[in-house]
Amino acid sequence: MTTKIIEVQNLQKKYGENVVLKDINENVEKGQVICVIGPSGSGKSTFLRCLNVLEKPTSGKVLFEGHELTNISEKQLDKLREKMGMVFQSFNLFPNMNVLENIKLAPMKVKGVSEQEAEKKALELLEKVGLKDKGQQYPTSMSGGQQQRVAIARALAMDPEVMLFDEPTSALDPEMVGEVLKVMRDLADSGMTMVVVTHEMASPKKLLIKFGLWQMVMFKKLGNQMNSSLTLNQNVLKTF
Amino acid sequence: MKLYQKIIMLLAMVLTLVGPMSTAFAADDASTSSQQTTTTSNNDELKKIKQKGTLVVGTSADYPPYEFTTKENGQTKIVGFEMEMAKQIAKDLGVKLVIKNMQFDSLLVALETGKVDVIISGMSPTAERKKSVAFSKIYYTGAPYLVINKADMAKYDAISDFKDKKVGAQNGSLFYDLIKTSMPDSQRKGLGKLSDLILSLQSHKIDGILMDEATAKAYIESNSSLSGFKTGIKLNASDTGTAIAYPKGATALGEAINKSIDKIQAKDLINKEFIPEASKYMESNTKQSTMLDYWKYFAKGVQYTLIITIIAAFFGVILGILLALMRLSDNKLFHMLSVIYIEFVRGTPLMVQVMFVYFGIGSIIQSLPAITAGIIAVALNSGAYVAEVFRSGIASIAAGQTEAARSLGLSKKQTFQYVVIPQAIKNIWPALGNEFISLIKESSIVSVIGVTELMFQTQQVQSATFKGVMPLFVTMCIYFVLTFSLSKVLNYFEGKMKHDN
Repeated sequence: MTTKIIEVQNLQKKYGENVVLKDINENVEKGQVICVIGPSGSGKSTFLRCLNVLEKPTSGKVLFEGHELTNISEKQLDKLREKMGMVFQSFNLFPNMNVLENIKLAPMKVKGVSEQEAEKKALELLEKVGLKDKGQQYPTSMSGGQQQRVAIARALAMDPEVMLFDEPTSALDPEMVGEVLKVMRDLADSGMTMVVVTHEMASPKKLLIKFGLWQMVMFKKLGNQMNSSLTLNQNVLKTF
Repeated sequence: MKLYQKIIMLLAMVLTLVGPMSTAFAADDASTSSQQTTTTSNNDELKKIKQKGTLVVGTSADYPPYEFTTKENGQTKIVGFEMEMAKQIAKDLGVKLVIKNMQFDSLLVALETGKVDVIISGMSPTAERKKSVAFSKIYYTGAPYLVINKADMAKYDAISDFKDKKVGAQNGSLFYDLIKTSMPDSQRKGLGKLSDLILSLQSHKIDGILMDEATAKAYIESNSSLSGFKTGIKLNASDTGTAIAYPKGATALGEAINKSIDKIQAKDLINKEFIPEASKYMESNTKQSTMLDYWKYFAKGVQYTLIITIIAAFFGVILGILLALMRLSDNKLFHMLSVIYIEFVRGTPLMVQVMFVYFGIGSIIQSLPAITAGIIAVALNSGAYVAEVFRSGIASIAAGQTEAARSLGLSKKQTFQYVVIPQAIKNIWPALGNEFISLIKESSIVSVIGVTELMFQTQQVQSATFKGVMPLFVTMCIYFVLTFSLSKVLNYFEGKMKHDN
């Protein structure tokens, strides 16, 4: 039996008159790995950011574990966001903190975990992403690939139910993409529910060949219209 | 409304924190002792003075031999023949004497707003002044005297020689008006402090100073480059004589004062005891006239300057963050209020704000000591500038930082506290440091309300030593040492923050 973790119903997002997302209906089930692909400007990232309400949908519903995210208080939303880890294209590590502090911040401040416990967990996660010895380093002294792996560890430190990846490899030099994808693959392997946005076909393909579990949602640009009115017109759900 | 509550709470916080501290600091300091008076001018005045057990006398202590500062056993003391009189009056009333030293032009406002009980400061009971305050009997009559540079002795020996020349007098004093009426062909120049006028004379910015005979002689005696002559300007007694000012309508207090004056005059105490006593102090002042002898004056000034700066900087930063957050908030009302506050405070001079807080708010909260008023004004002022610095700092943090923090479940507040503000502070550190440095310098403005910070103490040394330039030079060096050290400390922290990165 499958459980729906995220349900998206009639999602619409407009910036002023500019319709970015229209009539999106998708479900994410527990343990599923969904790849959202499509050209730049097709609304993939906006879609992903609507899932944890970093962008507020114009209309429609987003449900997480049955709770509607679009009409709850900030406090309740903060509580639910804990369970949705997010990894950004530009890593967004906190440059004023070292790697360990980056990872420990949220567990300590949000969950009230003790420093000791948070540190132990952070070291475990760093080992998992292959950066065991980098705990004392500051983000700016690390490569992009390393930073992105720290960002994944940071998100995992909150024990999320689902991980959202927003173009996780787009800002990386080609030789660094592999190390990040490997971490993601291990994560998928361990049964983590994942939604991955990317505009490169290569990354999902690499993963898809290896694991038959990937599903893909394709976002397409609308014909040859002006760039200001990019609208999602087709959702393709394929199972390989 | 929430915001008003916040502002009032903040103000209350400043008051409660600074109030006791400043009174503790002021314990050894007559000029800033806390004082309790009333604004209601009636016969209860006398009762109230007796109730609180102190007579608060306002004076401008730069007018030897009337009143001036000296030091005794390292302590600053305000002395002069009028202060001897004040002692006598306090004694007759059976209360303790508290002397508050401030600029001459601030005295009348201080009396009207209840900051002082009476003014004893060589003040003449002119018709103009009688409109706002009442006066006692005249107890001393001086004659207008012109002080000039000794080198000009041949040039000037009558007021008619001053045609088209610049003649100075103390602002708000009788002599300032006298120049206009009796020397209409001369150019009039007014300054707040006699010591500044002497300085102007010596540097030939002005050609003569019209002042009281007793004071003029005191300056001439202690300064070999000065000379002077009696002008022969005739005046009626109510214009030249000096009297004690008290609140209008406080007739019982007036009667008590007049009784004391009668007693003093019956024994001719002014000429026989008070003036000789004052002269003794003047001689000792002239003897101790190297800057080193006055290091305690400067030390105390530095102490107060630092107290004002540190406390004002602390609350300025808190207020600044609050205003910056309000300005950045989505709430239109908060945003608007913050913008109005910042623009208004930045658009008005600090000196006006300082005086407004002291005399304006001080007339509602009677016990507000000058130093607290000064700190509040400087903190309120600094808050507006800090707010703009913080705003730019917060705006400089990429949106991704906030998004990353929020996606981890951090609340809006936590995101600001742990992610945005620490990074913003690093970005704005140089600008913030700049603000702290100018705070040290701008704190000198609170000298206008008589807080004994460095600039005020400098003026004290100027009038005590009869030297103008040297104390200024010393003070300039002290300010530079203060700001330069701070700038080094700030650089150290800036470097440390960079290292972290």
